[in-house]
Amino acid sequence: MELFTGLSFSVLCIQILVGLSKATILFIVASGLTLILGVLRIPNLAHGSLYMIGAFTTYSIATAFSQSSLGFWIALLLAPLIVALIGLIMEQGLFRFLYNRDHLMMLLFTFSFTLVFGDLVKLLWGSDYRSLAVPEIFQGSYSLLGMPFPRYNLFLLLLGPVFAAGLWFLTNRTILGKISRAAAVDREMVGAVGINVNRIYAAVFVLGCYLAGVGGALVAPTQNISQGMDHSIIIEIFLIVIIGGLGNVWGALLGAVIFGLTDAIGILVAPQFGIIFPYLAVITVLIFRPKGLLKSIW
Amino acid sequence: MKSTFKFFCLAAFVSCCLLAASSAFAAKTIKVGIVDTYSGPASTYTNDVRDAFALAVNKINAAGGIFGQQVEFVTRDSKFKVDLGLSAAKELVMREEVDILMGTINSALALALSDFAKQEKIPFLATFAKSAKITGEKGHRYVFSMNENTAMIGKAAAAGLAKLPYTTYWIAGDDYEYGHAVADGVWENLKKLKPEVRLLGQSWWKVGEPDFTPYITAMLAEEPDAVIIATGGRDCVPFLKAAQTTGFNKLVPFYMHTATEISTLKPLGLTAPEGVIGTANYHSYYPDTEENKAFVAEFEKAYDRTPAVGALYGYITAQFISKAYAKAGEVNTEKFIDALEGLSVDSPVGTVTMRAEDHQVMLPMFMGMTTKVEGKQFLVASEIITIPAEESMPSLDEIRKARQL
Repeated sequence: MELFTGLSFSVLCIQILVGLSKATILFIVASGLTLILGVLRIPNLAHGSLYMIGAFTTYSIATAFSQSSLGFWIALLLAPLIVALIGLIMEQGLFRFLYNRDHLMMLLFTFSFTLVFGDLVKLLWGSDYRSLAVPEIFQGSYSLLGMPFPRYNLFLLLLGPVFAAGLWFLTNRTILGKISRAAAVDREMVGAVGINVNRIYAAVFVLGCYLAGVGGALVAPTQNISQGMDHSIIIEIFLIVIIGGLGNVWGALLGAVIFGLTDAIGILVAPQFGIIFPYLAVITVLIFRPKGLLKSIW
Repeated sequence: MKSTFKFFCLAAFVSCCLLAASSAFAAKTIKVGIVDTYSGPASTYTNDVRDAFALAVNKINAAGGIFGQQVEFVTRDSKFKVDLGLSAAKELVMREEVDILMGTINSALALALSDFAKQEKIPFLATFAKSAKITGEKGHRYVFSMNENTAMIGKAAAAGLAKLPYTTYWIAGDDYEYGHAVADGVWENLKKLKPEVRLLGQSWWKVGEPDFTPYITAMLAEEPDAVIIATGGRDCVPFLKAAQTTGFNKLVPFYMHTATEISTLKPLGLTAPEGVIGTANYHSYYPDTEENKAFVAEFEKAYDRTPAVGALYGYITAQFISKAYAKAGEVNTEKFIDALEGLSVDSPVGTVTMRAEDHQVMLPMFMGMTTKVEGKQFLVASEIITIPAEESMPSLDEIRKARQL
């Protein structure tokens, strides 16, 4: 089946699947950012750094357990928890005292954390990049419609909906989710009815950091784990959060899908200029819906 | 009697002073200032240059230095930034008073340092920067290149690829100077050697592109006979990884400079794809000569790791410096440059010569294919063909034409 300009249907399908699997990681990381942004009102620039720490920690844990075939899975379990712990220390040690400051202050404060974490990673892991092998059961690729589709990408593709459903359940069906949604709208009122808002804030912040860690752990086998990966992801996920609607988890999902798909399709349609398509999509969205596609909590 | 004693004292004092002065003079060292990226991903390559250079310098010093003068070097981290590197070079020249500048993997910085060296009339020995402009159109008396450049990569790769039975090609690479220069170099030369080749299209990705899978599936859709990948440095690793998971290497043969190099293959371990065609200036296991074995053993003993291509550049730079000064007979920049032109030194890859006309070192290039070998923890190059420097160097006419522009 041939579409226009000889672009075959199967190639297009594979490219969409590849784009969606990329969107999975973007969504997981962006949802963490948007949760913190929506509930705590902190534009956490250090989110990308936590993602980077997640990737490096995954590398270290996976290589420590490299004799067993479970190395990556142990790392996938532990690394995000370590990142969440760092988040807990950050929140309890520092952010807790700063909730009343204005956004610009917070922005500068979290920016300083990107520098601190950047140097911390350099101190702990050195300046070399690391490379982690894809776990054994996901090595190689499946043949779909006559095109190769990497097994690991399929794993990511299946994981995306799991995380989306989990987040939906957490925000809509649990007490924590309900209170945090309420706290996002009116913090004082929630406090007035006798709920410990600080604890809710801490929980949401830690959850957001955990998601950054998961993203870092999942991306570790697919790319170079190196310094600078914090900067490249933070730009992408901020754009995703902005086009989706600040603080809206479904907006993050929508934004990530748009970003992943325009990237993959762009590469197929105009390979020489593939880089610009996601950014064109962002500009288009912002022209027509400056507040984002879905309702912003701000 | 008293006056004789006074005279004796004075004479002793004066001779002591003279002795002190002359010993101070003898202790003067030849100072080399290295500006390079020692933080960030590029340090994987630059550390080998510095360490092999240090190893060679220690040996030269242990053997009595160059006509009695010890060689000393200082390093500055440019963090892959042009402004930082340039100010570091200024500081090295003004305050440290270095005799020679050396370094940098960053081509833009290498060109800036080359300009600076020209103003200051101080020799600059470029190590690892691959821009053909360094000894091509921007070449001058004070700059020397100690490694292959994009023009040489292009010519060498084209010579190898022309022998293979492929006619339709796709080109993909890093969207910056190195990528485009390599791609253009390979393609221009390949068209000359084999006029029937046809280019189906190109893809360009940003430097540090994290995920190559969508690019690979898009290329597969076009069904080229072979692909030229113009990606450099650390991006080679995730590209090869993506090639392995998609089975790209089994579906379409592709060429990538440094694909067979240890810096690229070691991080991937045994998960690296087989059958990738690559070129490199150096392998620790090839050429299989006594000189190379001795060099590898020495480097491994000192640093507990296998030397990569950067080690060759560091080593020959030290050899060129020591031999050129020895030939010049004194520490004099102009005499040093005259001595360095056309100079030959022994190296792990055989005798290498500094071409007098354009100050470009003549290094052989090894083209091979990635292969798993029993007992090794990473892939190595097999079926290596040596492309001698004479075949990959740009002709003197081309250099003259480039410099007139």
